[in-house]
This record gives sequence, C-alpha cells and structure tokens, in this order.
Amino acid sequence: MTTTDAASTDGESVTALEGPGAAGPEGFQLLPWMADRGIVLFTVALVLFAAVFVDGFASLANITDVFNRSAPIGIVAVGMTFVVISANYLDLSVVSQVATSAVTLLAVSNSTGSVALAMLAAFGVALVYGVVNGTAVGIFKANAVIVTLSTTFIGLGILRWASGGSIYFGPNDGPIRAFGLAKIGPFPLSMLVLILMTLLLSYVLRRTTFGFMVKAFGSNREATRLAGVNTAWIVIGAFLMSALGALIGGFVLAAFSNTAVSTNGTGYDFEALAAIVIGGTSVFGGKGSVLRTLLGVVFVSVLSNLMVLSGLGFGVQQMAIGALIVAAVSLDALARKAGAA
Amino acid sequence: MEHEQTHDGAPVIEATGIVKRFGGAVAVDGVDIACFAGEVHALVGENGAGKSTLMRILAGILTPTEGQVLVDGRPLEGGDAKASLEAGISLVHQELSLVPEMTVAENIVLGFTPTRGAGFIDRDEQRRIAQAALDEIGVRVDLDEPVARLSVALRQFVEIARAIARQPRVLILDEPTATLTPAETDYLLAMLQRLADRGMAIIYISHRLPEIFALGDRVTILRDGQLVRACAIDELTSDEMVDLMVGRELKRELETHREDVEPGPVVLCARGITAPGVDGVDLDVRAGQIVGLGGLVGAGRTELVRAIIGADVRTGGTATMTIDGETTDIRSYRQAVANGLAYVPEERRTDGLALTMSVRDNIALPNRRRLSRLSVLRRGRIREFAMELAHAVELRPPVITADVGSYSGGNQQKVVLAKWLGHEPSVIVLDEPTRGVDVGAKAEIHRLVRELAENGTAVLVVSSDLPELLELSDVIHVVRDGRIQGTLDSSEADESAVMRLAASGEAEVPA
Amino acid sequence: MTESRNDTDSTEAGLDLGSGADLSRWRTVLARRTEGRAVALLVVVATVALVLEPIVFTSYEVTLGRLALIGLVALGLTAVILMGELDLAVASTLAFSGVVMASIDNLALGILAALLGGLVIGVVNAFFVVVVGINSFIATLGMLFFLRGAAFVLSGEEPVRLVAREAGIAFGRPLIGPLSPRILIFVIAVIALQVFVTRVRAGREFYAVGGNRQAAYDAGIPVRRRVYTGFMISGFVSALAGVINTLERTAADPTAGGSVLLASFAAAIIGGVLLNGGRGSIVGTLIGAASLAILQVALTLSGVQVDVQNIVIGLILLIAVITDPTTLRVVLGNARALFRGSSQAQPEPG
Repeated sequence: MTTTDAASTDGESVTALEGPGAAGPEGFQLLPWMADRGIVLFTVALVLFAAVFVDGFASLANITDVFNRSAPIGIVAVGMTFVVISANYLDLSVVSQVATSAVTLLAVSNSTGSVALAMLAAFGVALVYGVVNGTAVGIFKANAVIVTLSTTFIGLGILRWASGGSIYFGPNDGPIRAFGLAKIGPFPLSMLVLILMTLLLSYVLRRTTFGFMVKAFGSNREATRLAGVNTAWIVIGAFLMSALGALIGGFVLAAFSNTAVSTNGTGYDFEALAAIVIGGTSVFGGKGSVLRTLLGVVFVSVLSNLMVLSGLGFGVQQMAIGALIVAAVSLDALARKAGAA
Repeated sequence: MEHEQTHDGAPVIEATGIVKRFGGAVAVDGVDIACFAGEVHALVGENGAGKSTLMRILAGILTPTEGQVLVDGRPLEGGDAKASLEAGISLVHQELSLVPEMTVAENIVLGFTPTRGAGFIDRDEQRRIAQAALDEIGVRVDLDEPVARLSVALRQFVEIARAIARQPRVLILDEPTATLTPAETDYLLAMLQRLADRGMAIIYISHRLPEIFALGDRVTILRDGQLVRACAIDELTSDEMVDLMVGRELKRELETHREDVEPGPVVLCARGITAPGVDGVDLDVRAGQIVGLGGLVGAGRTELVRAIIGADVRTGGTATMTIDGETTDIRSYRQAVANGLAYVPEERRTDGLALTMSVRDNIALPNRRRLSRLSVLRRGRIREFAMELAHAVELRPPVITADVGSYSGGNQQKVVLAKWLGHEPSVIVLDEPTRGVDVGAKAEIHRLVRELAENGTAVLVVSSDLPELLELSDVIHVVRDGRIQGTLDSSEADESAVMRLAASGEAEVPA
Repeated sequence: MTESRNDTDSTEAGLDLGSGADLSRWRTVLARRTEGRAVALLVVVATVALVLEPIVFTSYEVTLGRLALIGLVALGLTAVILMGELDLAVASTLAFSGVVMASIDNLALGILAALLGGLVIGVVNAFFVVVVGINSFIATLGMLFFLRGAAFVLSGEEPVRLVAREAGIAFGRPLIGPLSPRILIFVIAVIALQVFVTRVRAGREFYAVGGNRQAAYDAGIPVRRRVYTGFMISGFVSALAGVINTLERTAADPTAGGSVLLASFAAAIIGGVLLNGGRGSIVGTLIGAASLAILQVALTLSGVQVDVQNIVIGLILLIAVITDPTTLRVVLGNARALFRGSSQAQPEPG
C-alpha cells in the first residue's frame, strides 16, 4: 500500500500523477493553453484586423514607422527578458540606460569625432549599470524593483547634470545618420539590428550554459544553488544582458532621429515589460523565451500604432498597456493555479 | 503513571472511519480515535505512519476524504482555522506559530486579542490573559519581550501558552519536546499532567517512549496509515510498543543485505562540527561504505549533514574531502560539489528540483560543464545523457521532455538521483531519500544507492525509515539532540536498538 | 545544548527573563529598534543643513510642508510593507486623485471623489494580490502605469486648473499657529496610523500578516481582510496627498508625484520597514521622511536641481535597501564563512 507522510507534502494540494502532464488529468485545459499559446493567435489576429480595418495601417510609410519605433524598445525588451526569467521582476533602469547610451553616443562622437570611442564609452557605462544592479540584487539580495528604481534616478540625475538637458545632434553626413536612414527594401536597418539581437540573445538563452542557469535560477533558486551554481554571477549576468539591450537600443534610437536627449527612453520600462509578459514569459521566472518577447514586441507596437492612428492619446495608450500587463500576468497566475489544482 | 480513568460519557473529540487520500496515495486508512476529558492520549507511529496527517485532520486543518471528526458530538468543519479554534481545539505543531517581532503577550493572544470599543486593544486584559496562561503552565517570561529574542525552549513554552490561553477543550501537541532539554521536558510533562487533571483532553504525539509512558493514559498506534492498536498504556511494555510501531516484519533475506566489503580509505571526514542544532560531531565516511544517520525528527541530522557539506553555515569544526589521495577542506558548498560531492536534500520539491523545468534540464543542471563545449550546450549529448540516466534510474515513463513537476514523488526522487549519478560523485549525501515515495520506487532507489557504494562512492544517508536505514547501512550513527548518541554496526543493529538509542538515549529502556 | 539559545536565557524553564539591571534592559530595547538608520541619517542631514543651509530650519513651514507630502505617501507605503506587500502605484494614485478632484467643479464633491477613488484603487490592488494571486510588486506596477495613463486621459494631458482657486490659496495659509492645513492633516494622519498599528487590533495584526503569515492564518486572523485594509489605507493616503498637492498648487498636474515616489520609498525603507514584512514602525518612517524632507529642501534652497537631488536620494534608497539589517547579517555571514580558511585537517582513519 502506498503511503506518504503528509509532513513532507503540501497537504491538500499534493497530487501524484503518473507520467508527464502538459495536459493534466482532465486532458486539455484552456487557461494554461491560453497563457502559453494564445499570444500567437492574438498577434496574428491583431495584425490582420489592423491591416483590414484600420485606415492607414497598411501603408509603407506607416509600417516603416512602426519598425523604426519598435526597434529600440524591442532591443531593450529582449535584453530585459533575462532579468524577468531570473524571477527578478524587471529592470526599471533601462529608461536611464537608454538615454545615457544615446546621449553618450552622440556627445562623445561629436566631441572626439570617433563613433567607435563613443560606443566604447557607452559600453563602459552599461557595464557599470549591470554590475551595480546585479550585485545589489544578486549578492545583497535586495529587491530588484527598488534597486533598479534607485539606479534609474541616480543614472538620470547624473545624465541630466552632465548634459544639462541639452539635445545633441549628430552631423548630417555622419555615419550615425547614415545608419538611421539606411534600409533594406522596406526594412530599416534598425529592424535588422533588432532581429540580430533577438537571434543572438535567443541563442544565449537557449543554447549556452549561462542561459540555462538563468532559467533554472528563475525556476528554483535554492535547487540551482544546491546544484553547485554560483547564483550571484547569474543575477549579475542577467542584469548585464538587460544593460546590453538598453545599450544597443539607445544606439538605434539615437540613429533613428540623429538626436539624443536625456528624456529618451521614457516609458521603455513598462513597454518592455508589457512586451515580455504579453509574449508569454512568466513573471514568476523560469519560463519564457526571447522569441516570445519579439512576438510581444510586435503585438505591443502594432497596438500602439493602432491607437495612434485611431487618434487615441498617449494617456489611453498607457492605460491600455498597463491593463495588458496586469491581464497577462493574471492569466499566468490563474493558469498556474489551474495547473496545480 | 496512575491516572484517574473515569470516562463518563462521550469523548470530547472523536474521529471515526478517517480515510485521507492525497491524489493516488493513502495517508490514513480507516482510523478511529477518541479522546476524553482529562485524558492524555498518545498517538505514536513511525514517520510515514500517518500520525501528522491524522493530527491535522483532528485539528481541523485538513478535511478527511472519508469519515468525520466530532467535537462534543458536533461535526467539525475542516479547513477553517477559526472554526477549529471556536470548537475548542488548539494545536501546537512543530513549526512555531509565533510572530517573531511581536511580544510574548501579543503572541499569546494572537487572533483573539481582547478589545474594548472600536477595536482598541485592551492591553490590561491582554496582559492578564497572557499572564494567566503563563501562570497556568508555570513559566515566567517577560510579557513585553519580543519572541524572537527568546531561546528556542522558551518559545516552545510561549507557544503552548498561546495554545491554552483560549481555554481549549482539546490540546494537540506534536513532538513538543523535540527541542527541550531533559529538565525542560520533565517540566513540560508535569505541566501537561496538571492540565489534564483539570479536565483538558490532550492528544500527544511523540516518538519518545519514556515520555509517553510517563504521561499517557491511552495510546493509539499507527503503522502505514492503519490503526494497529488502541489501548491503555498500562497494557503495553515499551518493547511491545516498539514492536507494534515497527511491525513484526520478516527480516529481509541476506541477499538484499550487503556483503561485507572492505571499505576503502576515508573520503569524507568531519571533526567537531558545530552549528545551530549540532553540538560537536565527528564523522567519517569511507569509499564504498554506506553510513546511516538515524534518530528522531528534530535530532539535528539534517542540520549536521548540511553543516558538513557547507550548504548551511558551520559555526565550528572542520570537514574535508579526500579524493585520489588529495585532501581539501570543504569551505563552500559550491567548491565541494565541484570536487565531487553530491547532495540529495530532504525537500525535493523546494530544494531538489526545478519543478517547472523538464526532466532533461534538471538532470543536466549539475552536469552542465561536462555537457557543454565552451559554454555552449551540446543538445544531442544532453539528450543522450539524460536518456541514459533516466533509464538507469528506471524513470517511468522515461519522457525526459516532460516537466518534472508532473511526475509522482517516487519518480521525482529518481530524477534527483539521476542528476547526481551523472555527476559521478565521490561522496553522496542523501537526506530522507525515500520519503513520500511509493514502494516500487523505494526499492529501486535502494538498489541505486547500493550500486553507488559498490562503485566506490562514499555514501552518507539520513533516514527516519528504520527498515531502510538497517537495510542500507554498514554503520549506523544514532543522533540525538545534535550529538551522536551511539554507533551500531550492521551486524548488531536492529530496529529496536536504533529506536531505543534515538528515543531514550539509552541502550535499554528502564523498567 | 543547541546553538540557537541566546545568552540571556537559562536552561531551566520557569526562570525569569529580562530581570536584569535597568541599564542593560534599555540597551537591549534600543538594540531592537528598527529606526537606527533613519535616526543616523536625520542627524547627519540636520547637522549638515544647520551648517550650510540654516534657512531650512528658520523657514520651517516649507520643510514641514515637504515633510507632509513625502510623509503621507510614505505612511501609506509603510502600512502595506508591514504586511509584506508593496504598493508601487502610490505616485500615480496621487496624480490621478488630484486630477479627479480638479476635474469636478464642486470642491467638496471633488475631494470626496478623489478620496473615494483612492480607496477603490486600494481595493483593486488588493483584489489582484489576494484573489488573482499576483505578486503585489507586479500588480501595483501595472496599476502605476494604468493610473498614469488614466491621469493623462482625464486631464487632457495638461494640468487641470482648480475651479475653487480661493479655497486652494486659503488652504496654503497657516491655520493653527504657523501650521498650515497640510501639516495638520499630516499630523493627524501620523497619529491615526500610529495608533492604528500599535493600539488597534486590526492594525497590530498587520505585523502578524507580514511577520508570519501562516501563523496569522492559523490563529484565525482574517488575513485577506487585513490585506484589503492595508491597500485601502495606502490608496486613501496617497489620494489625500494628491488632494493636498492640488489644493496648494491650485492645479492638478497629471505627472505629479515623480519626485515624491523616490523620496517616500527612501523614507520608509531607511525608516526601518522590512520589505519582507513584520518589522518597522510609523515613527521610523516619520524620522526617515523628516530627514529626506530636510535634505530635499536644503538642496533646493542651495540651488541644486531636482535631477541632481535625485542622485542623492537614489543613493540613499539604494544603500538603504542593500543594508537591510537581517539580509546584511546573512550576506556577511556567508562572506565570512567563505573566507574562513581552516587549517588543513588530516583525515583520521575511522
């Protein structure tokens, strides 16, 4: 006769299923499926809807615009995915990182004439952000939301003080401008960068030991520690990934408009989070993918575009995205409950 | 030991035909129990016998699958803490229900804090109730001291004060003396006797036989979820009780008993280990040897092994690993694992596995270096590796892409073993390796552990499952109160001997 | 016996605890308080301000006014954090309520609507945490974004002028002695909350909900109800701050609350509230808010821009959250264990 000592189980909530169960004992379950696969359906439906019913969506100019606007946010989002998967909620400091990256690029290249040097400088800053955030969260075990909230303000403060709030313009014939204007067919170069970043980071997440450990850590910290993993480095690494995304995103943003100012990147924190959670990555950690984030980016940018085309103001867009975040996370939470029942 | 046993009329609390199933597993299988006013009713059985489950059902925390609990003749609604409390049931369980930052007085009245008008706390009344409860159990503590600053023993007493402050009809205690010294234990027992004399019904769960014989009036013995015997304490001797608890099972055939193999050199060496709950332990494990750690819950075995391997902080002592002649200090858990340590923790769901990840990924995690080249995972190799190990541990069914959380406890534990088998450890430490595991998987896990030893791994096993401990171990150290109480060789060890060392600290139970 | 006993105990039950000399009693009491860092910060900030920018103290209405604003929001935060939750939406609740109030011509009705709105926001937050089961960090983060947007929509993306301007101006004038209504309201709020969490049963139970939630459940405490209450307090108090802010500026700015957010978090956390819940005090938050108010006003009066101020406040918050007493002990313990290199031990043959 089989017995279990209930002291070692979770009491009422223990089930003992034999065999694998993506479908539970009742077979197909709607809620977990929706949380998992629904997004593809919704995104496709949204794009089709937009193409058919919304005036002005399907024009070349508009699509190009969508690409250009979504590229920087998308790049930030794919980087931040690592932080979310590691069960550290999100990285609020992407806002200040993007602004700093953009301003550093233009300011330094303007004054030294070297774009490479500017990129190096910006890279250094990103490194600092990643290490500070990662250390505070990974070694001091502080709450990521509060830590990145503080680093955002510190970073923005330094940036605004150093730049005096001024707007930087790149030279009209400079390489940055050229990059921003370049296209391959209808696709701006920024889109290419987004796709490359996505492929690269997806590879890192799925195929490297680092990515593997980030997922494991997000799924269960203690078990990962007991498997002999240096968990502090994992967290630092995750925040460095986020910093990388913000770095490149800032470059692309600067190239797009050939300007940089300390208010760049406003709202990137929640738009990136929205893309990530809508894409299906769980805020509880351990599950998710960079490709899903890309899907989420498509969804969010098309939706934003639709709202703009429909004349809905910035406020409504924010509300919609805030509501979407809560909805997506709720779906995930309810799906987990249903799955565990 | 002689008590007034006049049971006039109905029991204060009784449970009839209790069955409790968790999914496919049966924890309690048709048990009746009744406790009368003024009676101390002992509930005994080994770990896994179903006592905790039954206790939780009696306390109203769990709802039985079948059967019901009656308090003063009225059915008890399960799953509702308030209902249980109002019915007059108070539970003192092992995880202390105290709020660390609140004072003694506040903790004692927690949940029924007296108020006067508009919800304002009546502090005088609060102190009065708290003081009365403390007086009743005869303990003096500063009412305004935050509970976090009290010693473990005093916290236990405050916990008990909290339980009786509501003047319960029934008091249920689960291993209340686990963290107490003998003097404190005597004090507690005397106190409980006073409460019983005043009419409280007390259900007392413990492994410690001397206490049960000193305090109890009647006893209910469970084994494997079933009721084995319910009678007056006087009707049994200590030996008889132990026999009933462990069951008169046929001793296993010699073929499953390990042959006497010459153990190799010492691989794991611990000296003077001290840590919270561990009070100076020396321990050796040799290559090819299986060392078992027996003892009661709360004896400090888990704390001991975790302190040795560095999973928890060690406050004193040294531990070393000697592999291929080279000796290294165990300074950090990570480093120990890198050197060839494997650890199967007690709580596989929270510490042993990432439940939302696949079997394959769980197996790969500690072996990632071997399964990757230049930090890139070699997918094919991982799949092979995981498949191989899944088959080696006889995972049923061996679907390595499934979420490990969807498997049964036995299969989950096999996955834990699989990942460490892949690590080819020189030392493996297992804490309760077959808890919550079905019989079939249990046998398979035992086979795997023996194989590990045969291949030269040094094995350290913590187990509360006596037959398992005896079957596996070459040497058994019995731990009690953070120290090794005694050491038994496999030839001289039997269940009663282990139990006696663990429960009473003496080789023989006093008459 | 076991290592976990502390030295003020005896091994015999029934012995008095805490019967030591009065002086040692005081020392242990003080050592237990959580407000240490806030007091330290206050002393440092006040001393520096005294030397460099004494106007902070001579025109204390400004400082007190700032304290009131930061403090109100921080108080609401404290209530929620004590239970082990977090309310990130406080800043946008402030902005949103202000806009709601200004959008309604009737002043009394507007204030009522704003405050009611704060309560509703609290209920919604609690709903997502308790019923849906989302972590309060994410739930209130989503609410933060949502309300930010809602404030924009309602206000038409620009500040909304208060119709009853004179009331707003009157509000800014001192009422009792030198104290303006804003400060009086704040004082009342502090007293009310302090009484609530120390003397009212429901409030005291917040500590249980945060300190040992399972124990709270087991003791029959209505945990869900308490969570709702906590978020409602936070929502209400933030709305109150929004109302006050709007009255004083005679206009509601949909982007209001940004600078308060950072400072109020810093105030609460350095004031000693533990993010995991169960520890902290209103007094600590008050001291924290005071030190941050003095700091902000001093910096402003010295001509330091807001952005640079934020560097300082951000640093304070970062350091405060890293130096959380309990986690710090663990971190240092781990570091010490890592570096404690014991001498080579020879394995002794069994």
